[in-house]
Amino acid sequence: MAKTITIYTTNTCAYCVMVKKWLKSKGLGYQEVNLEEHPERQAEMMQLSGQMAVPVTVVADKDSDYLNITVGWNPAKLASAVADMPVASAA
Amino acid sequence: MAEQAQIYDVIMVGAGPAALAAAVYTTREDIETLLIEKGAVGGLAAITDWVDNYPGFAKGISGLDLAAQLEGQAERFGAKIKLGEVQKISTDGDLKRVTTNDGDLLAKTVLIATGTDYKKLGIPGEQELYGRGVHYCATCDGAFYRDKRLVVVGGGNSAVQEALFLTKFASHIDMLVRSDVRASEILQHELAKNAKITVHLNTSTEGIIGENNKVVKVLGTKDGQKTEFETDGVFVFIGLKPNTVFLSDSPQIELDEVGFVRSDANLQTTMPGVFVAGDVRSGATMQIAAAVGEGATAALRVREYLEHLERHSTEASHYVADQA
Repeated sequence: MAKTITIYTTNTCAYCVMVKKWLKSKGLGYQEVNLEEHPERQAEMMQLSGQMAVPVTVVADKDSDYLNITVGWNPAKLASAVADMPVASAA
Repeated sequence: MAEQAQIYDVIMVGAGPAALAAAVYTTREDIETLLIEKGAVGGLAAITDWVDNYPGFAKGISGLDLAAQLEGQAERFGAKIKLGEVQKISTDGDLKRVTTNDGDLLAKTVLIATGTDYKKLGIPGEQELYGRGVHYCATCDGAFYRDKRLVVVGGGNSAVQEALFLTKFASHIDMLVRSDVRASEILQHELAKNAKITVHLNTSTEGIIGENNKVVKVLGTKDGQKTEFETDGVFVFIGLKPNTVFLSDSPQIELDEVGFVRSDANLQTTMPGVFVAGDVRSGATMQIAAAVGEGATAALRVREYLEHLERHSTEASHYVADQA
């Protein structure tokens, strides 16, 4: 099991807050990329998601290199993406 | 099937300002309260960049901060917020059965406070280019348009407020208004002062054109003439629709012709024991301060209903709220 979670956010995005809150409620760690603080990473987010909209949550499986990408606040899709992750995993 | 035997005193559908205010009142009365939210806690207020007309904040407050304050206050007194989606409200004897995507819950009363959401234009290109230049949340996605051209569609308070916010990023904004600007005077003054925004009155928005999967232009008609606006993105704020689709299988709860929830003077819907507050209520004024006030009123009506249930456990259907 080697999955990590990365969330792409902006400063005033309420749905980004919801994703972070949901992950915390599940005891899951994550790395946050604030695209206003790191505009140089916007292209990376757009390439991953195909969109210019946040939040984007990327669950990366390091064993298989598979990326599960969720655009927006979609708890059902997030639940499926992290279903086999142990709680309190490191980001 | 019902989840175990827990029966809530009140389940609030939604966790925007109306429900959070109601929860402050109910939890302080030891009324067991559960809020169920499918979107953002704080509702539309949370995605509004700045709130200047909510009393008590002399300098204004960001929507996100206001939502966090409302949430924190409700949780301080014991309100529980569950993330999920309500699909139906029905009666189960004297109780209400709330069907969610995660099973059924039982409550003695229900407060509907699901608020509203932004309408879509329903024009060619809108759905296809969503997230690729078409947006409905300026506070979320505005930052992607630093030094870019934007179109904002709409002429009400939300459209003007969000267009002004977007000028923090965009180099220029064409604001397409179907008839006249209908925003408050203070917002109209701000709009008139802002050199980055060009307002196009009597302009309908008819199509969004993309190239290489990105928005490049918006098609419209201005004063009867076809016109085009080159742009990098479009933000749409053309009015609000009630979040009541989840009630389509709950015919006992009557909606008005537009889909807002009808209520009596005590904020009770046509299903006894089910109350409504905030923007989703038929006749609501769509103000955060009003939603909060209605939430407080509804909480008192919930308390009265619960007291009535205790006194007359089999006569709930004959409830008439005491006049406060």
